[in-house]
Amino acid sequence: MLGIFDILLFHATIQAVTPILLAAWAGLICQRAGVFTIAQEGLMLGAAFSAVAGSWFIGDAFAGVAVAVVVGVVLSAILAAGGVWFKGDTIVIGIGINLLADGLTIFLLRQLFDIQGVFQDPRLQGLTPLRIPGIADIPVIGPIVSGQTWITYLAWVLVVVISVFLFRTSWGLRLRGVGEQPEAAETLGVSVRRYRTAAVLASGALCGLAGAQLSLGSVTLFSEGMSAGRGWIAVVAVMLGQAHPAGVLGASVLFGLADAIGLRMQGLGLPNQLTDAAPYVVTLIALALAVRRRKTA
Amino acid sequence: MTDSGAGPSIGPAAGLGAVHRVTNEFEMLGIVKRFPGVVANDGIDLTVRTGEIHALMGENGAGKTTLMSILYGLMPPDAGEIIVRGAQVRFASPIDAIGHGLGMVHQSFKLFNMLTVWENVVFRAEPRRGAFIDRAAARRRVGALSERYGLAVDPNAIVGELPVGVRQRVEILKALYRDARILVLDEPTAVLTPQECKGLFAVMRNLVADHRTILFVTHKLREVMDVTDRVTVLRDGRVAGRLITRDTSAEEITRAMTGRNVFFEPRKASTGLGEPMLEVEALTVGDGEKPLVAAAQFAVRGGEIVGIAGVAGNGQSELVEAIVGLRPHDDGRIRVAGHDVTAEPLRLRRRAGLSYIPEDRAATGTALAASAADNLAMGFHRGAPLARGSLLDRSAMRTHARNLIKRFAVKIPDEVTQVGTLSGGNLQKVVAARELAHEAQVVIAEQPTRGLDVGATEFIHRTLLAQRDDGRAVLLVSSELSEIMSLCDRILVMYEGRIVADLAANDADEAKLGLLMAGAT
Amino acid sequence: MTVAAPRRWFQWVLSPVPLSIVVGLVLGAITMAVTGNDPVEVYTEIVRGALVGPNLIYTIGWSAPLVGMTMAVALPLRGGLVNLGGDGQLVLGGLVSVIVALNMPGPGIVKLIAALIAGIMAGGLYAMLAAWGEVRWRVPMLISTLLLNYPAKNFASYLVNFPMRDPANGMPESHMVEVGARLPGIPGTPLSSSVLLMVIAVVAIILFDRRTVAGYELRMRGLNARFAGYGGVNLDRQALLIMFSGGAMAGLVGASIVLGEQFRFTDYALVSPNYTWTGLMAALLANGEPLSAAIAAVFFAALQIGGFGMERATSIPRELTSVLQAIIILLLASRAGLRRRLRLGV
Repeated sequence: MLGIFDILLFHATIQAVTPILLAAWAGLICQRAGVFTIAQEGLMLGAAFSAVAGSWFIGDAFAGVAVAVVVGVVLSAILAAGGVWFKGDTIVIGIGINLLADGLTIFLLRQLFDIQGVFQDPRLQGLTPLRIPGIADIPVIGPIVSGQTWITYLAWVLVVVISVFLFRTSWGLRLRGVGEQPEAAETLGVSVRRYRTAAVLASGALCGLAGAQLSLGSVTLFSEGMSAGRGWIAVVAVMLGQAHPAGVLGASVLFGLADAIGLRMQGLGLPNQLTDAAPYVVTLIALALAVRRRKTA
Repeated sequence: MTDSGAGPSIGPAAGLGAVHRVTNEFEMLGIVKRFPGVVANDGIDLTVRTGEIHALMGENGAGKTTLMSILYGLMPPDAGEIIVRGAQVRFASPIDAIGHGLGMVHQSFKLFNMLTVWENVVFRAEPRRGAFIDRAAARRRVGALSERYGLAVDPNAIVGELPVGVRQRVEILKALYRDARILVLDEPTAVLTPQECKGLFAVMRNLVADHRTILFVTHKLREVMDVTDRVTVLRDGRVAGRLITRDTSAEEITRAMTGRNVFFEPRKASTGLGEPMLEVEALTVGDGEKPLVAAAQFAVRGGEIVGIAGVAGNGQSELVEAIVGLRPHDDGRIRVAGHDVTAEPLRLRRRAGLSYIPEDRAATGTALAASAADNLAMGFHRGAPLARGSLLDRSAMRTHARNLIKRFAVKIPDEVTQVGTLSGGNLQKVVAARELAHEAQVVIAEQPTRGLDVGATEFIHRTLLAQRDDGRAVLLVSSELSEIMSLCDRILVMYEGRIVADLAANDADEAKLGLLMAGAT
Repeated sequence: MTVAAPRRWFQWVLSPVPLSIVVGLVLGAITMAVTGNDPVEVYTEIVRGALVGPNLIYTIGWSAPLVGMTMAVALPLRGGLVNLGGDGQLVLGGLVSVIVALNMPGPGIVKLIAALIAGIMAGGLYAMLAAWGEVRWRVPMLISTLLLNYPAKNFASYLVNFPMRDPANGMPESHMVEVGARLPGIPGTPLSSSVLLMVIAVVAIILFDRRTVAGYELRMRGLNARFAGYGGVNLDRQALLIMFSGGAMAGLVGASIVLGEQFRFTDYALVSPNYTWTGLMAALLANGEPLSAAIAAVFFAALQIGGFGMERATSIPRELTSVLQAIIILLLASRAGLRRRLRLGV
């Protein structure tokens, strides 16, 4: 059983973490701005499809990623408009976006590719894993760290970028103020609407990257419902990490690990129905423990 | 004697013997602002001179808040103009107002509780080094300002952890950091002890000596008489009086505020004491070194009004919540009408004879989106005549509501109207009507007249006195000393979770209570 | 929004909803035109597919479980509680009912009744689990109900792929329930009596909401939980009971589909029609008010059945109607009127 904890597992974990992590950054930025979003699931799904479509029709993986990011931003604009400008309920709008993405991706899969279920083609350009020259040769760490997609490296670098942004720059301070006490921010001349819109659109771009990693990163295909609850796990990661970059990173890694272990156990012969449930059960238990430890709500 | 309002004369900024030409720091002329159904400001002229402390007075609903929102750029006036130091200005947002030297200290602080003091103060005007905030410079500047004006505060403290009086200093620092020449203080003393008020007045005089101007919005007469130079009184959206403080009197100001002669009636003593109806023994909320409520012990008899005085935030809310059952307690006993309810949930405590008018009528006392009928039924809906078994009798509910609306003269079109549309006073009437209809032996009223105009306040006071005269036990929690002193037969004072005094009304005066409220023994 | 006199809901149904539907239909028309289809033809086929001839029966048949799943969300939503776990509760309800029907001794009618009750209890208890998570452990129901879907679906999938699998067919499904233990059909129609069960349930819920003490307390909690608690309502107990009811409703839907239409438990069969999420949308649109939620559900059912017909007639994927639905709810949600704050705390 302990045999599954090997280098391959950790490499796979890092891969599995990436989309969750990016979606978690998306959620974190929105949370800090005071926008409670659960649209990551739909944004990721729509982006995953767009990445494949972009890569297929333009012929290049990077183009696919670009399309995914654009689609992510456009879809998140719905949340910005409905939730921030018109002050609608962001939970309902988030669910609406998720449902829209679900239906639209299946619809377009049929219309554009004439396929139901899964679109897969050897000619489809996916993201190539990058080999980092110096690091790849270090024993143990090397094979784990090297050989990931550039989106993965970006997702991890964002820990530092987001931390610095939030706690060391003016915009970060103002964003935090907007999220904490929008009234106070407004009286000091900070446009709550502008900051929240920016946060939502940024989250859309991040989910765009997450979706691209999903469909062009570890695999190169699109299947219906591909996001498979990862967006929701990202929501939980933000809660567990209390919207703090380090905490969110930790939570995301935990779930990625559970995900990767589940996949590995499948390889060992356990039915996938049971191993698929692993990340969700882990999430629930982690939530229960974490919330209990915190005395105040 | 009224003041004509303009023109050079020897004014209070004369200070050290030099004769300054007195200028108008700012003027608001002909300000009109309408909202659906009401004219909040109906042609108001307000002139404030440089270097003076000017009071803006009026009851709740007179138009002060609207006027200040306009001044601060939060909303544009429908008509009228604002002139600052001789130049006409138009404020599209608070940033414009700040740019012209206005600083506002709001009644409910606009602070970021999770951020530090320095982050709050420099927010949106952060000193920078390249793309990053220059934290050292920020802390230094905040420290320097706080020393200069006597506003002691630790720049690195988290604002949410600071006591209320200190948080107010942060608000003032915010304005000073932006070099506000005009400081508007909106009801600043509501959250201060009498001693802290004196401290605030000292700061104000300091600021004025520095050629700044202060507009002091309040409804408290005593303070106005103590520290201001001139007074403008608003009533029903118009200016009802312009007075020079040293030439006028409390009565004259009150007459301008209310439009009639209000006599400060002496307290009516209770007619007879009954059995103890509410007994609280060693009630403790919270554990460890600093519990929220520490071993509270007192009793309230039928036929008396017991008041709990104290600055808000000293454990009064927690005490009441624990008594009522909205909050768990850690130790102690509670008896209602002789019945031990310590282990019982709220519903059973109510049944034992407890009714409760909560501090926050909107968040707790009502469901704003529900009809008056729905709101008035709560608590009665489990039995006859509003329910038979588990079925509701809707028409009985409506009749019940109509009766209560009539009895308490609630201004509402009908019982199916949402209560969220009601004014503060009428909403409070709905809460009081419901709670008192239970005819419980014990009535707990928490800040019952907060935000109400004089008419509604008088109504609530009369109602509470009537309950007492009917032989019920009334526990009144209030941070308005005048209310406590005019209604209560016995006065308790709470400070930092402890009951530090239990006085008969005749033994208490404002000075003594003020000291107790501040923790002096 | 208040619920008081009947004229209120009527007014509500008339105001922001039609506008959003109209705008949604326009946006849908644009989507269709952009992908090379004729909107008029498409909408005509949708309407025809939903209401003409035998299609009307299908619409009714589809409405029943959809309205049921709508109630599974609407009932807790009335109290401000979020039940996103419809899928899991539905699946468990179907699974447990099939297990009982296949293994219970006794005459068919006994099996049937026991299976129905078991399915109801399974769904109810599973939902109550999430409620307990919030009451006791402060895990928000929004998240826990949602996450719990996956283990439930996975577990059912596992059972029906391996231990419970009927070896006769190539598909992962259980053995068939014997004829005597099935819900009878409605004579003269291809419909099952499960439709009647749903109607009865909905009527009961509407009466509960308007006429009972508990319904009043639930409504007040939805408008201001603190007010309800202050008025003496036991909020924790109420949360547990109402989530149980919501889950029980979903369980009933699962059980009645299994016992009344498919007569076996087939992997994915209960969730693929997407009753849960459509029902969720209908409930959200109505802010939890049962009657308008039911009406919205029937509207969505018609839209979806119409989509099937549209696909048959024009080869346009039926997911187009899901897209239409999503657009409509996004428009409605964006209006300031739809302001229900879904509560995360008890």
